Amino acid sequence: MLELRGVRQRYEGRVVLDLEQFTVPRTATVAVVGHNGAGKSTLLRLLALLEAPTEGQAFLNGTAVPRRPSASLRRRVTLVEQRPVLFRGTVRANLEYGLRVRDTGQAAANGIIADVVERLGLQPLLSRRRHELSDGEVQRVAVARALALRTDVLLLDEPASSADRAAAGALYRALAAERAARPFAVCIASHQLEDAYRWTDDIRALADGRLSPVTPENLFRVELPVGDGVKSVRVGSIEIVVMTDRAGPAVVAVPPTDIFVSREPLPSSARNVFKGRVTGMAIEHRGAGVHVRADMAGVELVAAVTAEAARDLALTPGGPVVFSFKATAVQVF
Amino acid sequence: MDFLAEGFRRAWGLLVTGDSEVYGIALLTLKVAVVATAISCAAGLPLGYFLATRAFWGRRAALTIVNTALAFPTVVVGLLLYGLLSRRGPLGGIGWLYTWQAIVVGDILLALPIAAALSAAAIQGVDPRIRRTAETLGAGSWRTAWTVAREARFALAAVITAAFGQVVAEIGAAMIVGGNIRGSTRTLTTAVALYTAQGDFGLALALGLVLLMLALVVNIALQVLQGRGHA
Repeated sequence: MLELRGVRQRYEGRVVLDLEQFTVPRTATVAVVGHNGAGKSTLLRLLALLEAPTEGQAFLNGTAVPRRPSASLRRRVTLVEQRPVLFRGTVRANLEYGLRVRDTGQAAANGIIADVVERLGLQPLLSRRRHELSDGEVQRVAVARALALRTDVLLLDEPASSADRAAAGALYRALAAERAARPFAVCIASHQLEDAYRWTDDIRALADGRLSPVTPENLFRVELPVGDGVKSVRVGSIEIVVMTDRAGPAVVAVPPTDIFVSREPLPSSARNVFKGRVTGMAIEHRGAGVHVRADMAGVELVAAVTAEAARDLALTPGGPVVFSFKATAVQVF
Repeated sequence: MDFLAEGFRRAWGLLVTGDSEVYGIALLTLKVAVVATAISCAAGLPLGYFLATRAFWGRRAALTIVNTALAFPTVVVGLLLYGLLSRRGPLGGIGWLYTWQAIVVGDILLALPIAAALSAAAIQGVDPRIRRTAETLGAGSWRTAWTVAREARFALAAVITAAFGQVVAEIGAAMIVGGNIRGSTRTLTTAVALYTAQGDFGLALALGLVLLMLALVVNIALQVLQGRGHA
């Protein structure tokens, strides 16, 4: 189990991460979602024991991690960065790197590499070098290179950012297959909520370096006008009506469960009514809910409905949809 | 013009006949340069890596000192070393003044800042993700350093070349602490200076050509060592 306690990370005096506690339980799959700059990558570097927190402490299986952890301690965790790099040499040499570091015998290393190569479909790439690979291929090789190490914890920063949807699916399926063979903890930072819901069982939201108390969908950074009560804020090309006395920069959140989904605008008390198109639907990893993603004039909103409701409404990707929610449903941070 | 042509003719003659004095001086120069370059790079490259990668109190000051030392006048280094090694100096007991070892020490003092400052710059030029990736894949500090250095190998080869260039072309310290003693501490540069002053232009020119060839051969050897330019 990997844990951060009372962690505050500062870069040049600015607090970029401020967490009371963050735990990656043994064999769990955790997703960390949030905007760019929310602190996801910093969090993963701390969890990877690559950086010591300015304040606070990391624990691995209950033991405090020293500020400069030994290589043997770091070998329990590995991180695949958002835009990973490969070392000079062939793909095979890259896959062997961490195994050589661990003094794995050649025969054992060959077996492990054959496994990950098979899982991630890397056979045709083995003798290539980094300049002969696409970004998506580099990402796949980097994931394979990390998987080959069989660490207790695998940290992935936007693992599907350079991959198309099919490749992302293949990557997550490979992860699931690996986990079925050998349980280990995974922590994924992603802005793809769909992936987070489908492939992980614990979703946490980061906003401005802090864990956000609400579900992470529909988080927007806004500038609240001065004044009391009902006010309207611009999010991209739409205006959201909120009820708050606060003013200035803030983050607003619309809980997906508070959004009414319909095919036509309904007469109701909801001050926020948006017409758009369904861009995707994902069945929750656990439970019978469906997450409906819709494009509302360029702004993506996510609503949670039951599987029955989704069926009754005959929602289909590309089809029309209306989202409605009350001004009081919008949370302000 | 005749005088120049005559100089070249004599230089050529000395080189093809294998003049023992010319080759003796060349060999000593090569020995001094190789030993001094090897020692200054063996210490300077790790120092440069350390300066480039570790955050510690006073790092900026250390970098400034190393960068300032790049411009240290060779005669001043020679002078200071002379003070240390002379009979009355604190290191006079080891009896190194006017030996080739003294020239090596002077050259190390001059080449070490080059090796450290330029390798720090070379390492700082490597994508920081390379180091993080090596670490997160479980590499210890030595292997991480090796992995990062491999990525900067062209720049680091240039650092070694620059250090060798400094050492082989240096004259101030070699003259002062070596003493330009025939058959013992006369290097190519000190000999060129001496024979030019004595009016033996042909011999000076021959030695100058040897110096150029030496630099050329060492650079070619370094290029071969770097291998091909695979990523």
